[in-house]
Amino acid sequence: MRECLYGYGAIASFWQGKISLMDDLLFEFTEWLRGTPVTELSLWISDTRASEWIAMHFWAIPIFQVIHILSISASFVAVLMLNLRAFGFAGSATLTEAANRYSRVLWWALLGLVGSGFLMIVGEPVRELVNPYFWVKMILLVIGVLVAAAFAKSLAKQGEATGSASGGTKVAGVVLIVLWCMIIWCGRWIAYAPV
Amino acid sequence: MYPEPENIWQRIEYSSFGTTIAESTWMFPTLETIHVIALVTVLGTIGLVDLRLIGVKGHAARVSQIAKDTLGWTWGAFALAAITGTLLFISKASSYMINPYFLVKMGLLALAGLNMLYFHSTTWRSVEQWESGEYPKAAKVAGWASLIFWIGIVFCGRAIGFTLGIYF
Repeated sequence: MRECLYGYGAIASFWQGKISLMDDLLFEFTEWLRGTPVTELSLWISDTRASEWIAMHFWAIPIFQVIHILSISASFVAVLMLNLRAFGFAGSATLTEAANRYSRVLWWALLGLVGSGFLMIVGEPVRELVNPYFWVKMILLVIGVLVAAAFAKSLAKQGEATGSASGGTKVAGVVLIVLWCMIIWCGRWIAYAPV
Repeated sequence: MYPEPENIWQRIEYSSFGTTIAESTWMFPTLETIHVIALVTVLGTIGLVDLRLIGVKGHAARVSQIAKDTLGWTWGAFALAAITGTLLFISKASSYMINPYFLVKMGLLALAGLNMLYFHSTTWRSVEQWESGEYPKAAKVAGWASLIFWIGIVFCGRAIGFTLGIYF
């Protein structure tokens, strides 16, 4: 029993060490951001009438977040369905049909995400822009969109050529799911940035 | 350390399980993140079926096809959301139990469950007969009801985060 507890303690302190190292890095990132024009930009945004309006209305931010979550749902399920179709687990439609259909859902959902995300930035510019998770999320988002575009395109193309997805395309699909989870992770952790 | 618990919710909150999650810097946000990933999967997959029921046709010729494709994912993700949700609840049980949005969210979850149960034990039984033609009104009503309940659940879930601690 004691050995078991000791083992647990060692694992916990190992991870605690990793976490505090990451916290330090993120904290330094925030400190660096404070010295860049991003800070002035976010202060300028917070002085705009739109930002003041959002700040005055308690339910504005939660409602933008609900739209954001609904859009995440649509985009995530589009990525999931594209994967299921690529792996042959779902759908009676051809690969090309499924690819066209769900990539359209994905792009519309992304528009909803960008729109609601923009409103959240206008409402709480300092909280969002002077935040390390926000910028990690933006980098992952750019990579995610590029991978998604390539994935959807090769699905449609391989659908026409052979009717089934290649190994490489399947790998891209799984990578896309992981990227999407990481983006969601960063999004939630914007609220928990070490400042 | 912690005061003597006065009711069952405080007993849950002050348990070693509850205080471990509450005192950790990373457990609560990590559980929240997994909860979000699970709930967007639940919502997205249910949404595909509901949209088909109310007449959005682009993504599936037959509703039974899209239901079959998504059902396992819906239940798996729902189980994950329920587990992570329970763990989040344990760490702040007494604050949740006096939060009206939490209570409404639980009510809406029950309504969404009852809606599904009723639909599956009635209209859905003859799905193979009606899905090739015009969908019955009951199917459309069930689809709309499900969408409204689930959007309400998301709204209440988000509202909890903004109001936890303002009710005593």
